Order: sequence, then structure tokens, then C-alpha cells
Amino acid sequence: MVVEFFAQLGDHTVRIVAIGATVIGFVAGSLGCFAYLRRQSLLGDVVSHASLSGITLAFILASLFADTVAKSMIVLIPGAIVIGSIAMLFAGAVVRRTKIKMDTALAVTLALFFGGGITLMRVIQTGPFTDRQGLDSYIFGQAAAITIADVYAILALGAIALVLLAVFWKEFKLYTFDEGFAKSKGFSARVLEPLLLSTIVIAVVIGLKAVGIVLMIAFVIAPPSAARQWTHRLEGMVLLAGGVGAISGLLGTLTSGMLGDVPTGPVIVLFLTFFAVMSLFVAPKRGIVFRTVRMRRKRRQLIAQAQLQGETT
Amino acid sequence: MSSTQFACETTRLTAAYGDEPVLRDVNVQVPQGVVMGIVGPNGAGKTTLLKALIGLMPLLSGSVHFFGQSYRRARSRIGYMPQQRSVDWDFPTTVFDAVMMGTYGSLGWFKRPGAAERERTEHALAEVEMTELADRQIGELSGGQRQRTFLARALVEEPDVYLMDEPFQGVDAASEKAIVTVMHALRERGKTIIIVHHDLTTVRGYCDWLTLLRIGVVASGPVDKVFTEANLQRTYERDQVFCEVGGFCPW
Repeated sequence: MVVEFFAQLGDHTVRIVAIGATVIGFVAGSLGCFAYLRRQSLLGDVVSHASLSGITLAFILASLFADTVAKSMIVLIPGAIVIGSIAMLFAGAVVRRTKIKMDTALAVTLALFFGGGITLMRVIQTGPFTDRQGLDSYIFGQAAAITIADVYAILALGAIALVLLAVFWKEFKLYTFDEGFAKSKGFSARVLEPLLLSTIVIAVVIGLKAVGIVLMIAFVIAPPSAARQWTHRLEGMVLLAGGVGAISGLLGTLTSGMLGDVPTGPVIVLFLTFFAVMSLFVAPKRGIVFRTVRMRRKRRQLIAQAQLQGETT
Repeated sequence: MSSTQFACETTRLTAAYGDEPVLRDVNVQVPQGVVMGIVGPNGAGKTTLLKALIGLMPLLSGSVHFFGQSYRRARSRIGYMPQQRSVDWDFPTTVFDAVMMGTYGSLGWFKRPGAAERERTEHALAEVEMTELADRQIGELSGGQRQRTFLARALVEEPDVYLMDEPFQGVDAASEKAIVTVMHALRERGKTIIIVHHDLTTVRGYCDWLTLLRIGVVASGPVDKVFTEANLQRTYERDQVFCEVGGFCPW
């Protein structure tokens, strides 16, 4: 059984999907830590939904020049990055310029840009675009459609994001923990804020084709939530979150392969959720089980003490 | 002598949130080697003044100088200690790491802390008596220990001016005493300390310089001259009455 499970990796197509899913899981999980710690997880969801506008727009524009490359990730992902970033800036501007609070602004932005994307999708389906099949798979994702070129694109973008993370590690850490103190030490928010946001954008967009717009947020949120329970160092959290994402990507791909006609993305998300929920329950110190046991023990002690006092007086 | 004598000097400093002035025409001169308290009612702009000094709050007009230089140029000589509640204490880091973040400023971009930084961190931890708690997750600290962690982070670069925003907020008596001891030891070494302070009963004990603030400066100077009934009344006018000042009820 176990042998069969991993023997699937001998298959070229499975291997490509597995590599893609593992890298997506690692990058999204590790970069997701900063979104998690800055309480910006919802921002990741906005980027992911808004990217549909970017993907469709990029497809339409590219079709004007060359039909054949219009659907490749190298064309569509920059569109997703640009529009995803614009959506983020838009939400920020709404909060600054109006009396609307962040949660409302994010919800409005998500609806607006996702709605725009759906509209453009309809335009593409009824318009004179020859190579449009499979474009709608970005909504729910289609891991099986991942090609070797896609894997290269995922690797390249993932590498850029991880290098940024490594280079600005100290600055990201300080800025995330204490923005005011970071600024007082001369680390400009005008440099760090866009850099941090761009890592979140990259973490989201690399998974869009394989996982889909709707489920991608799980890749960004679940691994940090799991990792945070086990460690109290940022280094450990980021590595662990990357590991949880990568292992979920691999196990999810192979499980969906074994099960046959089951989509890969959702299976990976189930693994991610399993790790997150399991961590919330059993992690030492922070886990629900540990805290419940400790509380019961303390309460018993309190009762015993109270009884003892009652007897002596 | 020129104005370089002042550790910190503001000239006609004005700042606003939108169209609401939060600091108006603030002129303050802080000589070197004093502990200066900034005191005033809620919403008087105390925290804003501190932030305006170090460029975290944009100025509408006016200027700030430390030892006659702009904040940017004097940055390495200034330590900032924000309000305790300004950060998420569940952030995954240890006391040692949090204190070592104080060295990032002198390291600048990209450079990583090394042996020298670790040594300075240990030294700062010892100064606030937190050595034993170095490996603790910061979320497990009490209010007083958190404040001492922040103090150590400000101490680590051995600046000449310390800006502390409510250093006694949520602090137990023992920690308050420890922080005051460090503050006064720094003053003995010629350092300048500016604190946003709330407790009028300890102003005389802790500070030797005082600024009474209410959007504008009500009075600023040596405690003996500034800490008077009339000045306090003007500062807290139509505000809650503070009868506990020095054990008498002036009005």
C-alpha cells in the first residue's frame, strides 16, 4: 500500500503535479506566516479573488498579440500579480479616505474584483477567443493540468519570494513585531510594506492554477496556524509552516492519485486542515488538550485547598 | 552657547489628524541629564508628541532637534520605548530575541546580529534584571516583565536620549521600582529621559523636569516651577479633579 502510494511518483505527470504542489505548499505556507502574524490573512483571500480580473484581463490582452501563448502561466500570473496588488492598494485607500473599516473594505474589494473577473470570463467565453478552454479552471483549480513550464514558473516565483524573505529577514521580523520601533530605527515602511505585501501576493498567485482562487487561501492560512502552536520562534514557525504546506501538497497529490477521480487541490486542503486542527488540539502548552488538562488539575487543587481551609476553621 | 546644549528641542511644533489639531505650537527645551515627564489629560497629545519627536507622526509645521541635529542624523543617539499595548505579545519570539532587536538600528539594512550584538543584549538584560527570563516566550511575561523587556531593548544601543511612552503602564510595584532605578542611574550618567507619565503623585519623585501638555504646552521647565496648583488646574480644567496631588486638594 505504502509502496504503491509513493510508486506513483514514477509516473511523469504525477511527478510534475507533486513537485508543483509541494513547492506551492512550501512557499505559500512559509510566506503565509507574515500574513498570519500581521492579521492580514483576509488580504490573501482578496488578492486571490481579485486575481481573476487580472488573469482574464491578461488573457484578453495577450490574445490580441499572440493566441498561442495567451493561456500560459507566464502571461496570466503577471496579470494576477498586478491586479491583485491594485486590489490590495484599493482596499487600503478606501480605509484611509473613508470612514469604512478594514473588514468591510476587504469584502467590498473582493466582491468588486471577483465580480469583474467573472464578467470578463463571460466576455471571453462569448468572444472570438480560440484558445479559451481551461481558463475557467483557475476558479476551482486543476492540478492535473499543471505542465512542466508551469512548474518552472512556480519555482522561479517561489525562489524570488524566498530570497526576498531571506534577504530582508531581520527587517521583516522587526517590522512585523513592532512597526513603530522599526520606523524609529530608520527602517522605512515605504520600503518594507510593499515588500511584505508582494511576498503575500506571490504566495497566493503561484497556486492559482493548481489549487484555484477559492481554495488558495487555505494554503496561506492553515500552515501558519498549525506551525504557531508548536514553536515560539519565528524561524521555527516559518520553516515548520513551509514543511506542513509541502507535505500536505505531496500527500494530497498522491492521495488524489490513489483515489482516482478526486480533484487534487481540495484533497490537499483537507490535509492542510487536518494538520491545523490536529495542532490546535494536541500541541504542547497551547493545544486545547493540554490546556484543558492543566485547567482541570488546577481546579482540583483549588477545591482541595478550599476544603482543607474549611476543615481547619 | 548654541542650542546644541539641549538634548531635545522643539520649535513651534504643530501636528494634526486630518483637520483636528493634536499638537499646537509646542515649544519644549529639554536640557541634558534630566528626567522629563510629559503630563496631561487623556487626548492631550502626549503620545503624539513623543511620536512627533521621532518622525512617526508627520508635522504640519515646526521642527525638532536633538543635540542641534535632526532626528535622522541623531537617530543612533535616541532610544524609543513604545507603549506596551502597541505590539502583539503573542508574537513568536523570546525575550532575548526581542531585546536583540534593539541592535538592528546600528546594524542597518541586511547585516545580521553577531557575537558583539549578543553580548550587548546580555548586558542590557542584566541591567533590567531579566537575565533568567532570556529564553522565555514574550507572551508568558507579566506586565512589568514586558515593560522591562522594552526597556532593555532601548538600552541595548546605549543611546543618550530615551523616549518612553507610559513605562509604568500595567506594571507591578517591584517592576516600577526597577525601572525607576534604571532611569535614575541613566540620569546619573548624563543621559536624558523623556517619559509620558500619568501618575501625578510620583511626578516629583521621578522627574526633575516637566511639561504640562494639553494640545498646546501649558507650562514646561523644572518641576519645582511647573508643578503648581494653578498650572495643573489649567491643564486639567473641566477634567477629572486630581485631589491626590501631594496629598492636598487645591480646588
